[in-house]
Amino acid sequence: MIDLDERYFEKKSFSHRLVIVYVFFGFAFSFFLYQTYSLQVSEYRDYETAAIANKTKEVLVQPVRGIIYDRSGKIIVNNVPTYDLIVKASLIKSIDSFLSDLSPIIELDTNELDYVKENFDLKASYNRELIIKKNLSTEEIAKFEVRSYKFPHAFIDVRYSRYNNYPKLFSHAIGYVGGVNNDELNSILDSQALPQIDTIFKYSNGFQIGKTGLESTYDHILRGKFGKKIYEVDARGRFVEERQFIKPTNGEDLYTTLDIEAQKVAYDQMDNRRGAVVAIEIDSGSIVSYVSTPSFSTNAISNGISSKAFNTLIQDNNKPFFDRASQGRYSPASTIKPAIALFGIENNIIDWDFSMEDPGYFILPEDQRVYRGWRKGGHGNVNLNKAMIVSSNTFFFSLAYKSDINELIEHLSNFGFGAKVCVDCFNPDKALLPTPEWKMNNLNFGWFKGDTVNMGVGQGYLSATPLQLAYYSTVLANKGTSKELSFTYDNQDIKNLNIQLDNISNIDWKRLHQSMIGVIESPIGTAKSLQELKTYIVAAKSGTVELVSTDTKEDYKIIRENEGNRDHAIIIAFGPMPNPKYAVSVVIENGESGGSVAGPVAIAVLNSLIDK
Amino acid sequence: MKKKLTFKNFSIYFDQYLFISISLLSVMGLFFLYSASQGDLSAVIKQSIFVGFGLFLMFILSQPDPDFYKIFSSLFIVLAIVLMFATMIFGREINGAKRWLNFGFFTLQTSEIIKIALPIFLASYLYNKPLPISLKHTFITLALIFFIFYLVYSQPDLGTGLVVFMAGIYILFLAGLGWKFIFTSFGLIVLSLPFLWNNFLEPFQRQRILTFIDPSSDPFGSSWNITQSKIAIGSGGMSGKGFQEGSQANLNFLPEAETDFIFAVIAEEFGFLGICILLSFFFFILLRCIYLAVNARDRFCRLTIGGLSLVFASTLFINLGMVVGIIPVVGMPMPFISKGGSSLLSFYIAFGIIISMATHKKLMQK
Repeated sequence: MIDLDERYFEKKSFSHRLVIVYVFFGFAFSFFLYQTYSLQVSEYRDYETAAIANKTKEVLVQPVRGIIYDRSGKIIVNNVPTYDLIVKASLIKSIDSFLSDLSPIIELDTNELDYVKENFDLKASYNRELIIKKNLSTEEIAKFEVRSYKFPHAFIDVRYSRYNNYPKLFSHAIGYVGGVNNDELNSILDSQALPQIDTIFKYSNGFQIGKTGLESTYDHILRGKFGKKIYEVDARGRFVEERQFIKPTNGEDLYTTLDIEAQKVAYDQMDNRRGAVVAIEIDSGSIVSYVSTPSFSTNAISNGISSKAFNTLIQDNNKPFFDRASQGRYSPASTIKPAIALFGIENNIIDWDFSMEDPGYFILPEDQRVYRGWRKGGHGNVNLNKAMIVSSNTFFFSLAYKSDINELIEHLSNFGFGAKVCVDCFNPDKALLPTPEWKMNNLNFGWFKGDTVNMGVGQGYLSATPLQLAYYSTVLANKGTSKELSFTYDNQDIKNLNIQLDNISNIDWKRLHQSMIGVIESPIGTAKSLQELKTYIVAAKSGTVELVSTDTKEDYKIIRENEGNRDHAIIIAFGPMPNPKYAVSVVIENGESGGSVAGPVAIAVLNSLIDK
Repeated sequence: MKKKLTFKNFSIYFDQYLFISISLLSVMGLFFLYSASQGDLSAVIKQSIFVGFGLFLMFILSQPDPDFYKIFSSLFIVLAIVLMFATMIFGREINGAKRWLNFGFFTLQTSEIIKIALPIFLASYLYNKPLPISLKHTFITLALIFFIFYLVYSQPDLGTGLVVFMAGIYILFLAGLGWKFIFTSFGLIVLSLPFLWNNFLEPFQRQRILTFIDPSSDPFGSSWNITQSKIAIGSGGMSGKGFQEGSQANLNFLPEAETDFIFAVIAEEFGFLGICILLSFFFFILLRCIYLAVNARDRFCRLTIGGLSLVFASTLFINLGMVVGIIPVVGMPMPFISKGGSSLLSFYIAFGIIISMATHKKLMQK
């Protein structure tokens, strides 16, 4: 035992030590209180935001895509509702008994059954909707509606698929839609100030985006804006209740300048031959017809196509997916001659009175090489007017020979060659306006005088798309001015383009038009066969694109045995003269004759536009 | 004041300050539990039975004379150690931990018993040792503390193990551990920390400490709990979201909302002001314990009150520190508030013994 003194000492020591311990606790506790204060008071906003972010989940609601109209207000592309059977998975106790109750009403194939069984548990645990069957038939809908009281947790919801009323006519002009990929979706969400992660579509997940044509060019207008459903969720991500619904803004409709009738005529006239037709309303520069053939059904592509059918399309030698109108490169051949003629007059190389002898060939003075015309023996004495009507190569060889290549290139680029001529076309090709630099860089050869001579008749390296030819035709019809081509009247980016031709008078333009009228109306015109196909006057210039160079008609007869070696038929035309309203270009691959093969197509399209 | 009500031959020992504040805390705890369990009335009823039984137990345990505890302290610790071994052999394994003994009607967490038995035993062992405590007694005491710490720690239950360990050290310190010894051993401990880290901590414990130091290193693993807890507390703000309005708890973002993290629920629903009111009760209880310890009748009673109240304080601080993210997650309930059986009852038992120590006056020895 310890004595009294010691007991007193012990009590004092105990008290001191207890105080030391509690002072230590006091510090620890103050630190705790400080931490709580920082969390709840100083950093309150951050944690409040975090708590709200924790418990809310936003689900995007898809907008309905805009409708696409033709220029008279007829619907070209629409959304058709399809109906899906959906269940609220978490409210279904047994999916097997649900499916067996459902089977007499709506039959599911094995794929559908597998999908339902695989996804049921997950959807149920997150309180999400599950699609049981897509694209219900009217009969299935009716059968289900009558018995819907048996299925309180199932309902039918509408989903929209894209439907083109003229599936093959507009496959290249309007194009098709398809499923969106993650990058595309993220950039769309970004543009609508929506968070990129953690967004799950309501159920269909089938958001579609324009892949080609106007569906792609005007996708930002057509697609609309996503709405949102904001749910309260628990820690497992399970939906507790819907808090807010922000309606989607449906896509804007697109009013195009396309003309269904003209498009039909162009498509029918092409009759599945390889080629393209582009028709322009001259005043507005608007594209009224845009056809590339052969074509394919956009509905099949947009809404699901079997891989077999798709492979058939992909492997087709006629390349139906290829948009010949804006991506096909063709030598303009003789259709270039009006532009070359204008160059000659502008630069005082020739005038309308100038004439020369056409022996049927042109000999290049530098190396005595012979450049032949299309007609053996030639056209005799030709002036500019006659050279246009009979399409004298010799005349234009000689004119080009006298031209400065760089000035000529500059001149041609004003007519849209080698240039972008359309504001809203999908991925248009600029084709090729060759320059000496281009030739040196790409072919490792200098520019020969012969190259310039060839350019005078639209052969050689020069190439253009049917779209560029249509623009060229418009510029010629409109005497050197045009708007940039477009599929809509009100695109903000449309520019007015004027060609500076100081030395070309209105009389020159009229004489040029007169010579192009002669191409059809003159008894010696290269397209005289078109005279009877119309009731008004049309100016035109036909062309025949030589794919294989032959010296004689006999040689050509041999090489034409192979269809792929046959000449391309090409024509540009505008009318009704003297105040043309529409310009058109037609290319038919291996069609051989610009005047008599491509010509009737051009006239038929003009007829459908002008008869109105 | 502590009361001694005398009825003819027997007296009733009772401290109204502790009794009332503990009862109020317990009743508040029932309300918090109602909210934390998302209105689960059966959990609240079960808890109120424990509370009622606990208060009764506290009252009963206040009655025996401190000498009773002094005499039987060796028996208690032996019994507690036997129970620990029994747990090791017959215990029920839950989530990889063997901490519970099943008695059919009641599952006992045996470390809760030893948490009380050790301080009482150490007090009875040290109360008559001269000051300062000799090296021999210090080592005997330390050996026992480490042995028992190891028993609890190996269950594994690091949290309770630390509380037991700290309780032992407190008593040794309060009993008059020599300052020389304290400074020397402190130096040695600091030097041996790297060795302890590598050899004594389980990988998951090391991970917890690492994520505590850098929470971003493990956003959805062990720090998920602490992140959600901080969000709950922080979003409560100054005045809270209101009773049963805490989204973190109601939507299950908060883990262990009814037990270890119940403080976060309270902080979310009642805000900083609510927390201050709640903590003032704990504060009051601790102040009362200091007063009672200093004024206890003898050294044994002082050491017991001091030791048990420090067990209480350590438990509370570990729980609070863990919930607000200033110490690593070790798994520790909030005394009188968290849902529980053994852990809840252990504190009623501890306070029953504290009251006994404080209210019995020494009979004058003839």
